[in-house]
Amino acid sequence: MKKGHEISLKEYANLRQSSLPMFPTEMLQPASGLLYIHAPRRAALSHPGLLVAGLLCASLIVPAVTAQKPGKAVHAAKGATVPASSVLLDTMTGELQRAFTSLGKPGPNQKDADKQLPPYFLSYSVADSSSVNIRAQYGALADSNTNHVRVADVQVRIGDPKLDNTHGNHRASAVNSLQMPLGDDHTALARTLWLATNAGYGSALDNFLRVKTESQVRAKEEDTSPDFSKEQPQVSIASPAPDVSIDKTAWEQRIKALSLVFREYPDVYQNIAMLTVQNETDYYASSEGSRVVAPHMLARVVVFAATRADDGMDMFRGQTFEAETIEGLPSQEQMEASVRELGKSLEALRKAPVTEPFDGPAILSGRAAAVFFHEVLGHRLEGQRQRGDEEGQTFTKELNKEVLPPFLSVADDPTMTTFGKQWLSGTYSYDDEGEKARRVELIQDGVLKTFLMSRLPIASFAASNGHGRAQTGRMPTGRQGNLIVTSTKTESDAELHKQLIDEAKKQGKPYGLYFEDISSGFAVTTRSAPQAFQVIPLVVWRVYVDGRPDELVRGVSIVGTPLAAMKRIVATSDKSEVFNGECGAESGTVPVSAVAPAMLVSEIETQRQQQGTQRPPILPIPGAASTAATKEGQ
Amino acid sequence: MNLARISGFFAAGLLSFAVLAPQHAVAQSTRAEAEKDPVLKAMLEELDRSMAHLQLPGFEKPYFIEYRMEDVQDFETRGAFGATEGSQHSHARVVRISVRVGDYKTDNSGPRGDGALQLSSIDDDPIALRSALWSGTDQAYKAALAAFAQKQAELKQVQTPPQADDFSKAKPIVSLAEPVRLSVDEQGWTDRVAHDSGIYRNDPAVNANQQQIQYSTAAFHARVTTTWIISSEGAIVRKASSSYSESFGVGTQADDGMRLDRSYGTSGLALSDLDSPEELRKHEITLISSLNDLRKAPMVEEEYHGPVLLSADASADTLHSLLASGVTATRPKLGTEARTNGPFASSFHARIMPDFLSVVDDPALKTWEGKELVGSYTVDDEAVPAQTVKLVSEGHLENYLIGRTPVRDFPESNGHARAGVTGPAHPVIGVLKVTAQQGLSDDELTAKLIAIAKERGLKSVYYVETLGTEATPRLLYRFDLDGKRTLVRGAVLDDLDQRALRAGVVAAGKNLWVANYATEVPETVLAPALLFDDVTVKRANETNDKLPYYPAPE
Repeated sequence: MKKGHEISLKEYANLRQSSLPMFPTEMLQPASGLLYIHAPRRAALSHPGLLVAGLLCASLIVPAVTAQKPGKAVHAAKGATVPASSVLLDTMTGELQRAFTSLGKPGPNQKDADKQLPPYFLSYSVADSSSVNIRAQYGALADSNTNHVRVADVQVRIGDPKLDNTHGNHRASAVNSLQMPLGDDHTALARTLWLATNAGYGSALDNFLRVKTESQVRAKEEDTSPDFSKEQPQVSIASPAPDVSIDKTAWEQRIKALSLVFREYPDVYQNIAMLTVQNETDYYASSEGSRVVAPHMLARVVVFAATRADDGMDMFRGQTFEAETIEGLPSQEQMEASVRELGKSLEALRKAPVTEPFDGPAILSGRAAAVFFHEVLGHRLEGQRQRGDEEGQTFTKELNKEVLPPFLSVADDPTMTTFGKQWLSGTYSYDDEGEKARRVELIQDGVLKTFLMSRLPIASFAASNGHGRAQTGRMPTGRQGNLIVTSTKTESDAELHKQLIDEAKKQGKPYGLYFEDISSGFAVTTRSAPQAFQVIPLVVWRVYVDGRPDELVRGVSIVGTPLAAMKRIVATSDKSEVFNGECGAESGTVPVSAVAPAMLVSEIETQRQQQGTQRPPILPIPGAASTAATKEGQ
Repeated sequence: MNLARISGFFAAGLLSFAVLAPQHAVAQSTRAEAEKDPVLKAMLEELDRSMAHLQLPGFEKPYFIEYRMEDVQDFETRGAFGATEGSQHSHARVVRISVRVGDYKTDNSGPRGDGALQLSSIDDDPIALRSALWSGTDQAYKAALAAFAQKQAELKQVQTPPQADDFSKAKPIVSLAEPVRLSVDEQGWTDRVAHDSGIYRNDPAVNANQQQIQYSTAAFHARVTTTWIISSEGAIVRKASSSYSESFGVGTQADDGMRLDRSYGTSGLALSDLDSPEELRKHEITLISSLNDLRKAPMVEEEYHGPVLLSADASADTLHSLLASGVTATRPKLGTEARTNGPFASSFHARIMPDFLSVVDDPALKTWEGKELVGSYTVDDEAVPAQTVKLVSEGHLENYLIGRTPVRDFPESNGHARAGVTGPAHPVIGVLKVTAQQGLSDDELTAKLIAIAKERGLKSVYYVETLGTEATPRLLYRFDLDGKRTLVRGAVLDDLDQRALRAGVVAAGKNLWVANYATEVPETVLAPALLFDDVTVKRANETNDKLPYYPAPE
């Protein structure tokens, strides 16, 4: 044992920047192959975990399980609490200043010929995140852990704002990340920032050279906007988020109890209940003089369950509960009742008839409409989507034109922390480029007014509007925060229901559809793919015109083009619903919210979804009421 | 070749099963005793239910089911530049489920491994434990049926029938070792590792050159694993293992940009096997100082062919890379007459080393000269007791390490199928011991090295003290004929292959070096120094990265 290990720098880099999962991800995929879990915001040290429904954006959010990442995820042992670290911010500022004034200047032993281009912009963004994750399955604890980790993202820009190393598809390369020491050891913090800055600067030099070459050989770009907007530096020092403090034993019991509910539903083949409490403080410093300390806290319970119909169709449902802090979560009774609904709904779904192709009127519930707007509209209003050869640019030329019925308006407001009593998880005070969050009126009375802007300018807008967001390790882009849809043409739910039936009759249809719950898929916005949105309806009812009771159907998949579908909204409910979730895109996973009223759409086209062919489990799930092997040979 | 050992540095370090009862005494227990363990009880119940009832109409029932459940408790803490980066404690249970359909002669097994993995609960809740097993068994059975159909189709495509059965029978054992729990002073280790990573700047013995150091990291990793294996043949095994490692890495660049890295690790089956803080400090000081020597060391000559002496340390790494994968027997490609795979696939009874060298794999060997051997174990991961296997006698390959996948002339397991956490079991070395008849002392080897140089009219020869990855020496010395020794840098070794091992070893040492590889499947190599007749030493000519663009902070 007294034996020297030798490691090389390459391995050292691996050691610092990635990690070996303790378990391969293979085991963490559900049998259905349907779903994934998403990492929590920012310090994305968790890995795609156990089952569950990624389905980018909105939908199922599933926080993740940090346990299996010995390589990177790290938690503070007791006592290693990190206080409001002015040492951290001061070290960032000092080291940033030293780097900014040293880089590109010849060293004491270097000739002038060695001179490299100086950076014109440098920023350090440090996410200090502590979290607790508890996970249960089949009614017992699977995992319970605590983490504390700090990661620095160094952004280096070389050239000038008109053309720099981030141009075009080099954008992602401008961020270099490294794990940071916890605590207040100035020397260690400074050394780590130096190491990351050196690597980032080297990469920036390399990319800038390529950008210049490429810009000389390519045809003129459609959008000749600069690469970086000019902004006023921001200084705002808030108190850091406190360490996560929860009664772990009590919460382990509560999470187990949520999972235990599924023993009442033996046809629910997989289930998982998870709690994530994450308290994060984001420190930001830039060479422009910005200094921002902003806390971000989130407590979330996710319950996910899946079943399979006898014909092999996989079905899942998820339920989430969010609050800023754990005290704000619903009572155990409320959560268990809600989980029971989930179990009931899955057992009903697996027996429901399979849908037929349909083209006719439908109501989207408020929750479904929120997901729909997030996916179909929100993503296409991200600034960077209006620029670049690869982008679909659906709305680029629609500015000041009517894109929705005139009774609808859409804003994105990260400064809003609650809607009614419901906390909004897309809330933030400063974005990940150190810009102050602000409300943006995207669509007013149906007319498109602006886009979600990061510091990447586009032809129509030169400046950020505080929506540059990213997961740790990624380059910020324009993203949604809290997307709020409002309407001036509202009806009671009963009236909306009546209008659905009237509309179906008018169109000669035997029924209309009611989309109670949908999950999001990918919003495809690039030119090479069709401009179809992907949302996955989870719970859909037929609402018959002849007064028969509503009928649950399964396997519904929406087809059609987004713009057309949105223009066919004819009325909305007078009540709005909140959807809290995690959204994934190029800049990683960020928490978001969407708020919308239920909507009546005059025409929506659906088809039968593709389905799996695997049979349901042969033997009954253990514990299923003394049924040992009765299903054998089914 | 050190890669394996390295991964122990950051994560792995599973560990061998030395906590077990002495190896020849695989104590026989009973199923009744096993059922007192709630985990085993749940496993046995679900296995019995599956064997009795799991069947798709019109298809075969499983003929064999095995569950291997692993409870892994893990603690890791890391430091850099003198401060903690944090630590992590995790606890999880994972079960690997193997289902076979067909029969021992021909079943669904294929080259990609079989079965399913499920995360299980860390509570001993019987229904939750069984639910994970149930889900995985269903999945594995369906996959086995599909694979079996495909296999039968493939068998029809080839003229040459398989050279051996698909699965060997093994006498089921019942062996119950005590489970283990992780217990370390987490705060103490967090502080110690933070301190270790700051020696470059805090210790007066070396901190004069702290500005030159580009990185300095340290880590401590502890893992204890309890493994339960049961099979439909009646095997019931509970075994336990533990591993602890502490490591340290430091690096810089020479003035010409060449990367210079050193690292050191200490590992063992118990905390008491690790270096004391004083010992560790000594090693770290040596390492940090060596960087300064390396920075000043001259570049190696452009190319050299001639005798090279590998220290026992460097030999162990070399032998690990040349022998370890070759002496294991694995199923050859369908339709061929090959016995196994790898460099020694056709070498049964052939000479693969000089006559004066012999090799045995002896998992029962627990210590060597007071050092714990991490590759030691008692029962393998297919529930077969480990056997001592004489692999190479007087230079000739006379045996292979094998699990329950037979190959031609080797119809039974010799207890060498081992698995990393969650991984499939496959034959792996345990404690590979290489010995030489009439081994020489270090001085005698050096004298012989110089004598060959004189004979051939060479001005200087080389001595490799430690190897890094891929035959890159970390510490390489040029010996002049007058006895002068010079540390040189920038070299890579070439022609250190199976042929060199067979025909190019002219002498070996008498003392064995213990190389513990604390990887997912822990391995140990015991090896003497080796004097090779003709090895190439040449410039690595790797890209020299730019020096830092600006000086490190004060």
